[in-house]
Amino acid sequence: MEILGPVFVAGITTGALYALATIGLSLVWGALGMLNMAHGAMLTIGGYAAFTLATWMGAPWPLAVLAPIVVGALVGAAIYALVAHPLLARAPRSFETNVIIATFGVAIALENAVLLIFGGQPFGQSIALSGNLQVAGVFIPWQNLLIVLVAFALMGATALFLARTRTGRAIRATAQNREAAQLMGVPVGRVYLQVLALSGGIAGTCGLLVSSITQLSPSLGADPMLKAFIMCVVAGLGNLPGAIAAAFVLALTEAFASYALGARWGFPLLLAIVILVLIWRPDGLFGRAAIRRL
Amino acid sequence: MAEAALAIEGLVTGYDRRDVLAGISLSVPEGSLVTVVGPNGHGKSTLLRAISGLLPTRRGSIRLFGKPLGGLAPHAVAAAGVVHVPQGDMLFPEMTVHENLMMGAYLEQDHAMIERRLADVEALLPRLAERRGQLASSLSGGERRMVGIGRGLMMGGRVMLIDEPSLGLAPIIIEQVYQVIARLKESGRTILLVEENPARVADLADEIHLLDNGKVVWSGLPSVLLERDELLETYLGG
Repeated sequence: MEILGPVFVAGITTGALYALATIGLSLVWGALGMLNMAHGAMLTIGGYAAFTLATWMGAPWPLAVLAPIVVGALVGAAIYALVAHPLLARAPRSFETNVIIATFGVAIALENAVLLIFGGQPFGQSIALSGNLQVAGVFIPWQNLLIVLVAFALMGATALFLARTRTGRAIRATAQNREAAQLMGVPVGRVYLQVLALSGGIAGTCGLLVSSITQLSPSLGADPMLKAFIMCVVAGLGNLPGAIAAAFVLALTEAFASYALGARWGFPLLLAIVILVLIWRPDGLFGRAAIRRL
Repeated sequence: MAEAALAIEGLVTGYDRRDVLAGISLSVPEGSLVTVVGPNGHGKSTLLRAISGLLPTRRGSIRLFGKPLGGLAPHAVAAAGVVHVPQGDMLFPEMTVHENLMMGAYLEQDHAMIERRLADVEALLPRLAERRGQLASSLSGGERRMVGIGRGLMMGGRVMLIDEPSLGLAPIIIEQVYQVIARLKESGRTILLVEENPARVADLADEIHLLDNGKVVWSGLPSVLLERDELLETYLGG
């Protein structure tokens, strides 16, 4: 029984990280119909941005924690302005496929830029809490608790932003009917820029959190990005609450499968579940055919 | 003569390489209701979409109170004061009725003004007040049409474009929709309305334009059009 506690803690922690990685991906898909293959690279850059400030430049931690948000948002905005916007303007009909290829290129370029600047050797992220909280005989590392709290705070803030603010409503309106949003006076180009910046900021923070319990390496974002994509597909692309629920369920499944059957079985089992779900419901658990919505 | 609220001169527009409108001219005087009728697929919606900037103005001009609109992005046309109630409503399906209405007021920053407009809209369309918290996707066709019109009214605006408000509705509901449009006209709004059936707008329209194959083939009073059987027969199949 004592072993199940830590497995549960690990599952919830990775669930929170997957969920956070999923939000940005799902937002961008829902609003633009864009699968941002460079999403993982934004995570990586976020992790390295905090590391650069905290470890190399000796900046105080509040500054180092803000860095991933700012840098992530800037990278996201740049991806819109330099890649997505021109593709959308020139060939709107083939945008969905073109942008996958283009952002895949961006991802490779960014990953190699990180490799060039920082080298391939892994670094430890210095911004992390140490120590444990002991609850009913289970040790919960403070850092894991912090990750879950930050993830929930960010998800809550994003949900509130989308539901309550004028900008958030404009983002949802654009996702649900782009032309109608334009007719209401919404400048969709600016909305797209905001969505990618928001997605980048969340991804950057997620990258910092991932690196705090693993290590910094140029491929830091690849695994969370892959998992986030799987969660999105399982839930139905563009369905935010569904993707978050899927993230926790699948992360817990992966954690318990890894414990019970051995680490090598975690991911295959997860994929098997995904395949079964998609055979049963091809549009995802909460998805509806040919509909993208926030 | 006073400057028209909306003046269109020799407008050519279309999709891809195909021109749908082949040089259309018409004007909408302030406070009037002008109607464009014609068979489906002959450019009625295309005309409204070009005015809103959803389609490019290839030749000719569109002026709102003398100010050219051609070349402006749709959101800028909306900001200039053109309200477009599109065909098929195009509501935001996963938003509530209230949120849809509030999207209409997206450009308005003055909260008192937004509240005033909301009160006006809910007085004109009391059904919307009852359905406030309901998702747009759960509404009936008639209710959706009312949300579309209400959302347009929330924009304020100076000229209202309404695209086939009777489309897909039962006759009794169409009557209700046209009662609302009649009240909008009474209140002094400037309206350019597109409709397939001229009989529906005969009592309301100050002027009617018959559109066929991207051209205005006849313009005049609705009462005159309804007496010209040969026109109705040729263009609208009797």
